[in-house]
Amino acid sequence: MQSPKAQDEQLQLLFDGELAPEEEAVVRRRLEGSEEELAQLGQWEQLRAAMKSASAEWAGELDSDTLFARIEAEIGAPAEATPLESQPPQEAVIVKPTPLRAVPGRQERRVWAAVATGFAAAAAVLLAVVAWPSGPSGPSVDGASAVRGSEVVEVDFGSNTGTIFEVEGGAGESLAVVWIDEEEVAIP
Amino acid sequence: MSRLRHWLLIAILVSAIGPASTVAAQSSSLVRSDRPASSSVPAEVLVVLAKEEAGEIDPQLKKLTALRRPPFNSFRSMKILSRPKVTLTPGKDALVSLPNGRRVKLTLLRVMPDGRYKVRAAINRPDKADYLPLLQVVASAGDPFFVAGQAYQGGTLVVGVIVDPQKNAK
Repeated sequence: MQSPKAQDEQLQLLFDGELAPEEEAVVRRRLEGSEEELAQLGQWEQLRAAMKSASAEWAGELDSDTLFARIEAEIGAPAEATPLESQPPQEAVIVKPTPLRAVPGRQERRVWAAVATGFAAAAAVLLAVVAWPSGPSGPSVDGASAVRGSEVVEVDFGSNTGTIFEVEGGAGESLAVVWIDEEEVAIP
Repeated sequence: MSRLRHWLLIAILVSAIGPASTVAAQSSSLVRSDRPASSSVPAEVLVVLAKEEAGEIDPQLKKLTALRRPPFNSFRSMKILSRPKVTLTPGKDALVSLPNGRRVKLTLLRVMPDGRYKVRAAINRPDKADYLPLLQVVASAGDPFFVAGQAYQGGTLVVGVIVDPQKNAK
């Protein structure tokens, strides 16, 4: 009999499609007798489908031309405003919202290059952040050289009461200590 | 140009959806990033009788500086009662008997992406759940975790578990 936590982890692995075939078969057999877990799985599926659907709909309805025109206008505004510094502020306010579509083609291409470079940099950062922890070439894959120590993930003290401590090890790492006070038990 | 912009926006949205769907599975980000352990790993169980009475600290424990820090610093004598070595095999319990009749049950659950081991431990009398029904710990190779507090012969048992003691041995 597995703990609820272990069952929940298995369910999440099943949802992520990361169980080995034999493990998946075991979990699916278990699900046949567990309406609660089936419902949980169904909720996750619905949520994922809803998020994908919503994003696709939004992307379909998105007026990308308008959005990019706004971005261009924001990027292009300071450059246009510069020669107006000596003019009265009222005139500068009038000129500033001019959309970039009115800017000559050479400057539009330059702005587009800047936007594209920005997106490329953002995508690179996103990729690095997402891939780094699980990537096979990560610095800590083969050993505990990067992460040291021990920590409690879950504890069930049963009918006792206990305390979880962290104590510093010889290399400064944090070591887990679970302390459960009790009366001396008689050896059966 | 218009079509290009449209697809650029969609690409950005899709890249954002990946992490978002992970959130949908609650703590799935942690679960999906680790993997079931596929091979056995050695472990050592250190069974120490600690007492507040003045006495000797076993020389073998001097390297374990953690035992001189709180909450262990009230003990003034420590004696190693046993130091059995076991092999942790995924999905298979390893049992170590304690002098008070209880048993330590250890199970290797996973190897985390950072190389640490996720281990399940329990300390109970056979067929009972009278002390520590469940403990799950992640520990790096060679770094111990401790379960302390069992009263025994006027002192306290301190049980240390070191997974893969050959690595990072201190």
